[in-house]
Formats: sequence, structure tokens, C-alpha cells
Amino acid sequence: MNKTIKLSPVTRIEGHLGIKVEVEDGRVARAYVSGEMFRGFETLLRGRDPLDAQYITQRICGVCPIDHGMASVLAQDMAYQLTPPDNGRIIRNLTQAANFIASHITHFYLLSALDFVDVAMITEYQGKDRALLDLQAWVKAQLSSRQVYPAAPFLPRYATKYLADKDANFGALKHYMDALEIRSQAHKMGALFAGKMPHAASLVPGGVTAKATSLNISQYRTLLEPIQDFINQSYLPDVLAVAGAFPEYFSLAQGCGNFLTYGVFPESADGAAKFLPGGARVKGKWQKLDPEAVTEDVGQSRFSSASGRKPFDGETVAAPDKSGAYSWLKAPRYQGEPMEVGPLARVLAAYQDGGNAEMKGAVDQLLKTLGRDATALASVMGRHAARALECKLLADRCAVWLDQLTPEAPAFKDFSIPESGRGYGLTEAARGALGHWLDIKNKKIANYQCVVPTTWNCSPRDDHGVAGPVEQALVGVAIADAENPIEAARVVRSFDPCLACAVH
Amino acid sequence: MNAINRRSFLKLSTRLSVLLGLGASAIPRVAEALDELSQGLAPVLWLQGQCCSGCSVSLLDSEAVTPYKLLTRYISLGFHQTLSAATGDQAVQVVNKIVNQGGYVLIVEGAVPDKMPQACMFGEEPFAEQLVRAAGKAKIILTAGTCSCYGGVPAAENNPTGAVSVPAFLKGRGIAVPVIRVPGCPIHPDWLVGTVVHALKFGLPPVDGLGRPLAYFSKSMHEQCPRFNDYEREHFAKTFGENGCLFKLGCAGPITYTDCNLRGWNGGVNSCIRAGAPCIGCGGENFCAQAGFPLITKERAAETTKADA
Repeated sequence: MNKTIKLSPVTRIEGHLGIKVEVEDGRVARAYVSGEMFRGFETLLRGRDPLDAQYITQRICGVCPIDHGMASVLAQDMAYQLTPPDNGRIIRNLTQAANFIASHITHFYLLSALDFVDVAMITEYQGKDRALLDLQAWVKAQLSSRQVYPAAPFLPRYATKYLADKDANFGALKHYMDALEIRSQAHKMGALFAGKMPHAASLVPGGVTAKATSLNISQYRTLLEPIQDFINQSYLPDVLAVAGAFPEYFSLAQGCGNFLTYGVFPESADGAAKFLPGGARVKGKWQKLDPEAVTEDVGQSRFSSASGRKPFDGETVAAPDKSGAYSWLKAPRYQGEPMEVGPLARVLAAYQDGGNAEMKGAVDQLLKTLGRDATALASVMGRHAARALECKLLADRCAVWLDQLTPEAPAFKDFSIPESGRGYGLTEAARGALGHWLDIKNKKIANYQCVVPTTWNCSPRDDHGVAGPVEQALVGVAIADAENPIEAARVVRSFDPCLACAVH
Repeated sequence: MNAINRRSFLKLSTRLSVLLGLGASAIPRVAEALDELSQGLAPVLWLQGQCCSGCSVSLLDSEAVTPYKLLTRYISLGFHQTLSAATGDQAVQVVNKIVNQGGYVLIVEGAVPDKMPQACMFGEEPFAEQLVRAAGKAKIILTAGTCSCYGGVPAAENNPTGAVSVPAFLKGRGIAVPVIRVPGCPIHPDWLVGTVVHALKFGLPPVDGLGRPLAYFSKSMHEQCPRFNDYEREHFAKTFGENGCLFKLGCAGPITYTDCNLRGWNGGVNSCIRAGAPCIGCGGENFCAQAGFPLITKERAAETTKADA
């Protein structure tokens, strides 16, 4: 089969994404990933008050707003030479962690599960679980109704082989319903300090506006425990069940082999010690993170601005009709290389760093359960497994951070905005390395650049024609049926793309 | 529908009647509405323009009606980009078939890039053109969130795409379908769920001059503020993290007509003001519109402090 297949829009991700794959002899020979929505945040931020940034940049993405808010306040902390009090740092961690947990659970169940789990099988359910009987009644009623598309949004779907094991299937379906509530409980947990989720109110330079009280600390803990139970008893086992049923996805979509993480969740006042450490693996070797190594190409992106700039000097000038350009995403590079970012990069960085004994033990245990070595993690299933594992360790860590809070202690360090200054904020979103670069002149934003996780992963080709990580991961993937290219969809979704973020 | 379903169904109807402020006498009518909806008599089509999906995410945080119940009992969600199993060409076909059929409630999240149609595409079609097709065949249009209602962040001063709100865009294209605006950045799930069901069963809810349901958007944040007494006593916070009215830190409560302070967010556990943060007016029609109008500020408090000294 030689054919060009287009998947546009790719649904069950955040935003507007298009994929084009050129299939030769049944396998993807070349892939092109396009971001299809642009708003121009970097342009509209210029000239605004710097304090607008942590609110406006959160609106880049409703799935990972807290991470943008964090990157922005970290950039301002640096520009204003601020160190938040311990409570400020810990409350920020707890807020961001809540967003991570909600995002990871949402990704596996709401966004990915329908690629593997068979909703239609519910008609065969013979058990007594009330929620499943309820779902069965609904699906049956829908299938016999005069709906244009019965049981939407769960059907229609690609015709392919789904999870065959009935128990695993029914379990995952029940957990899909549970996940809807659990993810909103995680958001509620974050809102205890954020004011509201998504789009937090309380993140400001110098810390947070919210205070820790004995009440909100206990409320957070009360909400956390059932979430931990869900992760341990549903999320991780479901990932393992899917992994067991689709073992071929452990050797599929290795990607570019380069990994980048800025590290996240500071555990010391200066922010140097982090729960998940930073690092970069370039051409097979791990090295210390160098923020100066980040540049962005726009040769094949819909921008007329200068290519290859470092973010502090970056520009964003839209050129929607630029010849040869096929995406609204820029092409970020680290030492000139495309880099995969996300939970897999973070787990691998922490694993090789070795400083986090729990992480090391958990990864070893996971690999033992799977009967595979660490190289299998760079794959579709490896990405799902790394995400679930990180979710567990992070939820467990939240309990430790809660113990470190001092009720009523200051969580904010006062500041004044300087006439001019620069700062960058490097953190992680649920889906990977996130950086904001801020330049202030006359107390206003002179330049603001965001280099975002999905910009890394879904990057188009750079000025040298080198494909981005998802584009590389798709190459070699066998497409059995051009009408139902589920394999490509599974590969793309394993990266948890967020396109509103990526283009901004 | 079996007995268990019927019972929980009525319970939901009761809860929804309370949510809508309709009282006990409306319960059977709400139940009837839900029954109709569950049979797919009033499909919902959700389209995304220049958005961040935050309103969709917020909707998933709904508690008055949980998202699963919403999908299986309350609405028949024909298509939603973030939730639908259908992908690629199949997704395009699903949307087109629903549009051709017509008669749905159209919910739109996000602004429209009026001067740069390539800045938002659905498959091969500019979102703007898809919206024109879909709006023309809708029974009613509901704009979810500040971007869709007023333009919001994508339409902020100096934006490069010429983004406009959905009502402004449709007016420009001469499409006259009733639009209900449910603003907020993001929407509060209660505002959207309550409005959808009201619109389906009871027709258009009472709205103000901007098309906003009075049930949620008729009083200012300031009137319902837990720090209102601080304002009255002229006890103003001078910086973040302090007690006192947040007005001098740029709080937009007096000009923002949402019920966040009473309703609370995420199941009512908190709100911006309760978390010590000034209201940034994210549900207001001018949210982010002017570059020279900061969302929060330290200048006003600093000037006061100087004057006091």
C-alpha cells in the first residue's frame, strides 16, 4: 500500500492538530504534523503590565494552565530577584501537582482509552455493577434510537481490534466513569489554594495570595486519599492490562531518542533541589541542563520572523500564507536537536539521576512486572506507563508536602516591578518541558516568548529539514487499513499533545 | 428505563430544578425535558474556535450534574473535539451530517479569527466557514466562555488574527439565530449546564441586554463580596496576601457581573477573592481588551501608601 493518509482533525487531544503520513509498503515513510490554530499570545503580551502575564498565559491552555502560570511567576521571580517563602513554594507545588494529576488521569481515560477499550462490548455485560448496568442501558437505548450518531461521543470510532478480555474491558469502562469524577476531585484539591481551576487566581510573583490553614490542609488531604486509591487500584492496573493486551506497542514509536526535562517541584528555597530533576539526553548521553541551548527555527513554520533565535531574542510574526510552511508551531531545538519531552523524559531523567530512590525502585518494579528492560519505555506503551507511574509518585509526594506546610505562615514575598529586567521560568507541564522568557522595559513587557511541551513534541521540520519527535516516532509504523489508521492515532496520543499550548 | 434509573432520574431532576431556581413544581417538567433529551430529541453540537479548551475542562468539573450524567442523561453530545471517539475524516463526516440534519443546540467555545481564517482550521475547512454552516442550521446558539461571548484573550489589543466574538462574527455574516452568552474564563459549569437545560425545555432564559442569563450574571462580584465590609470600613489590602478589600490591588469586582463569590468554584470550595486574589474580571465584556488596563496592579496601593505617609 502506497498512500498519503490525513488525520485532520486529530480528536481526543487538546486543540487543533492535523497529521499527514505517507505510507509506503504498508509503513509510514514520512510524517508531517501540523498545528492548526494560532492566537498570538507573544504578540498581544507586548506592552502590557508584567503582572498580566501569569493570568494571560494561563489562558494559553485550559488543560495545563497552572504550569503556564508557574512558568510566568518563576520568570518574574527571577526578574524581580524574589525568593518565595517556604509556604509559597509548597503551595505552588501542591497546586501544580493537582493540575498534573487531573491531566494525567484525563489523558489516559478520556483521551486515550477509547483507542484500546471497547465501549460497544458493554451490551454483553451480565454483572451487577450499577454504573455499568446504567451505561449498558444507555448504550442499548441509544443504539435503538433515531439518533444520527447513537452513543456519541463514544461512537463512531475506527474499526479495529479493541481490548478483547471482557473483565479488563468492563473494569476499564467503569474506571472511565470513575475517572471523570476523580479528575474533578483533583481539580478541587488544587482550587483549595488556587481559588479556582482551571485558570488559577492565586499565583503571583513572590509566592501565592492564598494562605495555608489547618482547614484547607486537611481538606486537601481528604481529597488526596481517594485519588491515591484510584491511581493504585484503577489507573496503574488498567495501564498494565492494556499494555498486556497490546504488547506490540512496546516496540513502536521510539521517537528521536533525545529527551529534555527542566525539572519541576522545587524542594529547596533556592529551587535548585527538585522532586523531579532536570536533564537532557542528547545523542544517547545524559547531560546537565543548559537553558542557553534552546533555540527555535521557523523555516517551515507560518512565521516570517527570524529563525534560530534564542527565546530572549525570539520574535513571533505571523505569515499565514508563507510558502513551504505547514504548521503554526515553531521548531524548538536543543543544541540543534529535536527533543522529546513529557512524563517519559522526566521518569528517565530521574531514573538515571538516581537521587530519587522511590522513583528508581518504582521504575525497576514496573519493568520487572512488564518483563522488559528500560529501553522498552521509549514506546507508545512506555509513555502511558511512565505517565501513570509519575502520577502515583506525585500524589504520594503531595502528602509529604502537606506535612511541610505551616498553617497561617506567610506565602508571599513583596516586590516592586523594576524599570527593566529579564527572567526566565523553566518548569514542566503534565506533557513536558515548559519555559517562559520575559524581558521588561519601562515596567512593561518588551518581549515574551513561550517554548511549550507540545511545541517540542509536535514540532515541524527545522531549517535543516530534520523532523520533529512525533514526526520521527510515526516513521516505520505499520498502517494495516488506510481507512482506519488507528496505529497512527495511538502513536500521536501517547505524547498527550496539547495544541493550544503548542502554538499559543 | 428500569426502576433504579427512574429514581435517580427524578433525583437529578430535583437537583436541577433547584439549580435553575425553578422550585418543586417544575420537577416533572424538568424530568420530562431530561427524558426527551436522553432519547436524543435535542442533540448538542460543540465546536471549538480559538480557545484553550478551558471551558470544556471546567464543564468536566461539574458537580450539580456530573459530566457522565450530563453526557448520558441530559444532552446528546453529537460531537466534541476533545471527547469524541471519531477522528480525522470520520470526525469531519460526523460534524457535517449533524449540521445537515440541523435543529441542534450549538455550543461554541473560542473566538473567531476574522482577519486570518487560516488561524483556526477544522480539517481542511476554516473554522469561520464551519461556524457559518453550523450556526445557520442551529435551533439556538450558546456561546461558552469569554472568548466566544466577547472575544476575550484572543481578541485582546494588538492581537494578530483579528479575533472577534461569535455574536459579532455572526452579525457580520448576517446570521440571525438567537445567541445566549455564558461568559467566564472559564465558564462555571453550573452556568452552562443550567442554561442549556433551561434553553431546551423552557425556551430562552431571562437574559440581560448582553444576552446573559440573569440567574447568574445580574449582580456584581462587589455586591456579593466576602470582603465587602472591609470596603465599607475603607480597610484596603496594600499588597497580596493581606486581609482587607482588594480594590487597590486592581480588583474588578465592582464592574464584573458574575456570582462567583456566592456560588464558589470547584464544588464551592473556593473562589478567587476567598483565595486572596483580586477579581480580574474574566467574565466581563472587556476582559483583556485594552493593553493599558492591567488585570491587577500594585501601583494604586503604592500611591495610597505614599499619600498616607
